[in-house]
Amino acid sequence: MVELQQAPVLLRARSASFGYAGRALLSGVDVELRAGELFAVVGPNGSGKTTLLRGLLGLLPPLAGAVECDRRRVGYVPQREALDPLYPLTTGELVEQGAIARLGRFGHVRRRDRRGAVLALERVGLADRASSPFAALSGGQRQRALIARALLMDPLVLFMDEPTSGADPVAASAVLELVTSLVRERGLAVVLVAHHLAALRPHTDRALFVHCGRVERGALSELDDPHRALHIFRGEGAHSP
Amino acid sequence: MSFAEAFQFFLWAMLATLVVGGVAPLLGGHLLLRRTGLYGLVLPQFASAGVALGYAVLPWWIAVFGLGGRTLDEALADPHAASNVLLGFAALATAVGLAVQAAFARARATESARAVGAFAVAGAATLLLSQLSPMGAEYVDSLLRGEVLAVGVHEFEVLAAGGLVAVLLLLRFQNALLLCGFDPDTARVQGLSLVRHEWVLLGALGLVVATGTLIVGPMVLFSLLVLPPLGARSLSRSQRGFFRWSVALGLASAVAGLVVSLRLDQPLGPAVALAAAALSTAAWALSRRQRALP
Repeated sequence: MVELQQAPVLLRARSASFGYAGRALLSGVDVELRAGELFAVVGPNGSGKTTLLRGLLGLLPPLAGAVECDRRRVGYVPQREALDPLYPLTTGELVEQGAIARLGRFGHVRRRDRRGAVLALERVGLADRASSPFAALSGGQRQRALIARALLMDPLVLFMDEPTSGADPVAASAVLELVTSLVRERGLAVVLVAHHLAALRPHTDRALFVHCGRVERGALSELDDPHRALHIFRGEGAHSP
Repeated sequence: MSFAEAFQFFLWAMLATLVVGGVAPLLGGHLLLRRTGLYGLVLPQFASAGVALGYAVLPWWIAVFGLGGRTLDEALADPHAASNVLLGFAALATAVGLAVQAAFARARATESARAVGAFAVAGAATLLLSQLSPMGAEYVDSLLRGEVLAVGVHEFEVLAAGGLVAVLLLLRFQNALLLCGFDPDTARVQGLSLVRHEWVLLGALGLVVATGTLIVGPMVLFSLLVLPPLGARSLSRSQRGFFRWSVALGLASAVAGLVVSLRLDQPLGPAVALAAAALSTAAWALSRRQRALP
């Protein structure tokens, strides 16, 4: 813990407000992410978890306050259901999309990035699926391929939008195990939106609770307290300890 | 006319059709994947309205700006004389078509509703504007029927130049365009501008539609924009394979359409469209058969 407190701050939000059409859904967001930290974004449906993720990612400019981060070193794993299955992409081609910011003069993927894509696929255990259509992979495999693509972005901070949704418990556990090992190996800061809290507990206790238009840093173990859980998920007992 | 004589007489028309057979499917592949394939139907119709408008304002144009010293009768007698003016109006009308699509999109209409609405507007405009110039009505009518009559070396050069620029744009931005369509959020996270890349695609589309509609007609153009990528999609497992198959099917459709048109003395447009449909159906059937094999 002492080591983590000395780790460099990779992202800092100061009194930030995020929302749409000028109306803030979340305000007073103060968050610091340090290297090696894995945070779960937790809250009831419609509380603004995705808004927080998009705000920290830079997809949603803050209505107030500021978010400081080296945008060149940010990786993103979207919800896999949001991706169009009509696109004819091999898994290798999908992973090479992670090098889009470093394309050659003629718009081609550079040789070193092709090698990087192969290594990223090896790292997530999909080396033998490089030429398979992405749409033909299982849910868990697709999630790992998207993580490989994010690794090719060479990130310091990695954002993941519901990486375990729709996956069976074994596949969800494998994905979270992979994420945890990346945090350990590479010192990444990871923020993931999650619903399967029980699956997350063995991997991290850090949480960003999103409720009532606010973001609170806390611990997943706080949810063992029924009053606290009600406070976060239903906004009840707001003044209880 | 013998086959050899027809070959010589229609040489530039054939080369122009082959250019469209190579370029349009590359562009149509992006439209299909972005689920905006109906642009391929609507924009050539707008360009046709532009050609009709060009004929309607030609007398005024010659009176105000001149046309290389030609009189109106001389310009109307030689279809090549006014081609640059007509091309300008086709490009203008294509831009109007894109603006109409954007306006409908702001009104939150679905893609099919936007396309049907815009097609109705463009079709009505083509018919009404054609009434203002008998020569224009005849020319637009032959374009709509797919009769490629007036392709000379100048028209071919214009089409080839437009096609070359479009291909260079698509090759340079292909990876970025695909990511912007497939996963816009990740594209933005990596610093790509969605608006800029949309303009690249629309610019290439506008070039090909404006020149292609004027020179080989809307039927050849929209059939080669839409049908070869449809067939290629069923044959391809990768994005590289998809675009290669699209271009191969487009060129094969152009060649097959040309042969049928010359052999049977039929208009080129319908021949190319039916050849593209037959090849795309064959590609789909082949892919089904391959999947069914153990």
